[in-house]
Amino acid sequence: MQNSRISRNRRSLLLAAGASLAAPLAAHAQAGGEDIVLGGSIPMTGVFAFAGVGINAGIQDYLKIVNDAGGIKGRKIKYVPEDTGYKVDVSVAAFKKITSQNKVNLYYGDSTAFSKTINPELERNGNILMAGASFATELNDPKKYPNQFLVGPDYTEMFGILLRHIAKEKPGAKVAFVYSDSEFGRDPIDESEALAKKLGLNVAIKIMTPPGSVDVSTEVIKLRRAAPDYTIFHGYILAPIPEFINQGKQQGMTSKWMGTFWTMDSSTVMKMGEAGDGFMGVMPYRYYYDTSAKAPMLDKIRQMRPEYQSTAYIQGFLAAMLFVESAKRTLDAKKELTGKNLKAALNSIKDFDTGGLIGVPITIKGNSIPVGRVYKADMKAQRMVPASDWIQL
Amino acid sequence: MRIGTLKESYIADAALFDSRTQKVWLAIAAALLLLFPFMASDYWLYLACLVSINVASATGLNILTGYTGLVSLGQAAFMGLGAYTVAILQINVGSPFLLNILAGGFVAMLGGLIVGIPSLRVKGLYLAIATIAASFIAHFLFANLKFTGGTGGLALPPASLFGLVLDTSFRLYWVIVPVTVLMLLGAANLFRTRVGRAFIAIRDRDISAEVLGIPLLRYKLLSFGLSSFYAGVAGGLWAYFFRVVTPESFPLLMSIFFLAAIIVGGMGTILGGILGAVFMTMVPELLKLVFDLLPNSTSLTVYLSPVRTIIFGLLIIGFLVFEPHGLAEVWRRIRRFFHLWPFRN
Repeated sequence: MQNSRISRNRRSLLLAAGASLAAPLAAHAQAGGEDIVLGGSIPMTGVFAFAGVGINAGIQDYLKIVNDAGGIKGRKIKYVPEDTGYKVDVSVAAFKKITSQNKVNLYYGDSTAFSKTINPELERNGNILMAGASFATELNDPKKYPNQFLVGPDYTEMFGILLRHIAKEKPGAKVAFVYSDSEFGRDPIDESEALAKKLGLNVAIKIMTPPGSVDVSTEVIKLRRAAPDYTIFHGYILAPIPEFINQGKQQGMTSKWMGTFWTMDSSTVMKMGEAGDGFMGVMPYRYYYDTSAKAPMLDKIRQMRPEYQSTAYIQGFLAAMLFVESAKRTLDAKKELTGKNLKAALNSIKDFDTGGLIGVPITIKGNSIPVGRVYKADMKAQRMVPASDWIQL
Repeated sequence: MRIGTLKESYIADAALFDSRTQKVWLAIAAALLLLFPFMASDYWLYLACLVSINVASATGLNILTGYTGLVSLGQAAFMGLGAYTVAILQINVGSPFLLNILAGGFVAMLGGLIVGIPSLRVKGLYLAIATIAASFIAHFLFANLKFTGGTGGLALPPASLFGLVLDTSFRLYWVIVPVTVLMLLGAANLFRTRVGRAFIAIRDRDISAEVLGIPLLRYKLLSFGLSSFYAGVAGGLWAYFFRVVTPESFPLLMSIFFLAAIIVGGMGTILGGILGAVFMTMVPELLKLVFDLLPNSTSLTVYLSPVRTIIFGLLIIGFLVFEPHGLAEVWRRIRRFFHLWPFRN
């Protein structure tokens, strides 16, 4: 008697457990299918955490907007991030973990080294479209990296935007390149030197510094002797740029100072203090506080997060937007979510309105979005203000 | 309870595996290693390969630092030498991958012999600084030589064995783990020979060792050479595992990682190198899995990640404070407990 009660209890327990397991599945079936998974190797700790935290928030926020509006054809997008500490082996482990536990179609990677390392795995997997924090020129090759894209111009294209701006502002100007001795730093230098010549600019000097160098007094003397009209820094986040500018100004240099994406976040430039007044650089996106034109998506971001959001946040937000658009176009065409189809859908994007995140409609022909604008630091207003119109390459 | 093991000869006393219990446990471990790839997901296989590579390199450093007493912060650079040799041979010559890995080991060994020369004059922190300098020189060469691919490095095709392309963690497991096991056996056997005992004598007191007739330069260089051979082979395996080798792949921090591994694991024991490398590689991942169990862990990742890093740091400090002899000593204590149970615990 007691046995039969136990077995009855066990049976009802099993039924209840079965029902509770089946309930979410039924809900999914009603909603229109399984979730689309966006995995992410995100550097939330380590040297790149300053960007990783923003990227993570940007992706989360855009997906919240999409999921709250019903997802893509009823399918929600599930975001599965893992911290990497900005280490390649940990990033790959995160990729393996996320792809082992989920059917992943979209992925955000944290570095150039990770993008290069994971590329054969992406090709073998065949179901994933990947973007990331890297703007390396090498990745801007659809043949070598068919399942990846850059969320903006590559570093050479960033230099291209700056050099075109210089050529327009001061034809025949003398330009200096100051860059770090790293893969990041050396990336655009050779090609940009050739472009400068083509644009009629004179590359007066190229100075390479050890990564993380602080004492740059000898380099500043060399720079002063070359007397450039414009000095472009690349391969740094902040140091040693303020040192260069401070010492250069003290020695009477009249150069205009410029930087590329990872230096150009408002909070980074503002750390330069007085020396940074007038500091210019290329930025593919509108700043959080830029209200110079209509930007409904920025309005939404400001509504969701009233405090300043970094350019890394906007990068993550836009990456998620392009992922979603690619998935939407692929599903609209009744195609399977494979890396190849997703990439083809991404490349079908023509004159796409990003809701004002980028000031002009974008077209993605290859692996990059070669658009940007030159912004200038206004230290009094503690803001970056536009110094050029949007430049499309 | 195990009362003791009877040894009737010197050979029996010096045997690597001295009891039936030990042999049974080793057989079980070998069987588990053989079964593991068929049961584990790609993630766990990846981690198993990564741990194996780290164990091989940490064991190499243990020969030099743990057994010979020469502190080195150049292990990552030697791994880099091995990795670049493998990549260059694979891309330009296309020679068999096992041969490439051996070549990687020998090139790193050559590097180690050169870097080891100052070890006759300098010891301790001074030697550590000398090896740091060597790692900067290696980085400079990797970044500036034409055939190393500059700062962009080299991307190499996958290894192949008898026509089978080794492009997944599952396939590489069958190469990486056996090579590591062989290297571990080699290291364990080394310390049953005159050479190994000479290393230990140098570590304990180098002047006394010389008085005993051990030529210091020869043995110190041999230790450097063997240690960097291990690093070179580990670097070669690393190159086939990740298939992209850049100057930034082998930073100074990586050398510190291996030094930390042997300190946490236990210097001067083969088991210490293994446990240390497993600890340093796996604990951050295991902490992630533990944190994944928390409700809303995905949305809280941004807050939980720094906490996880702090816990990992505290664990390392904890081991250093409470067990300076490392995890190997903890393991020995656990074994002793079971050997003596139930009489003393």
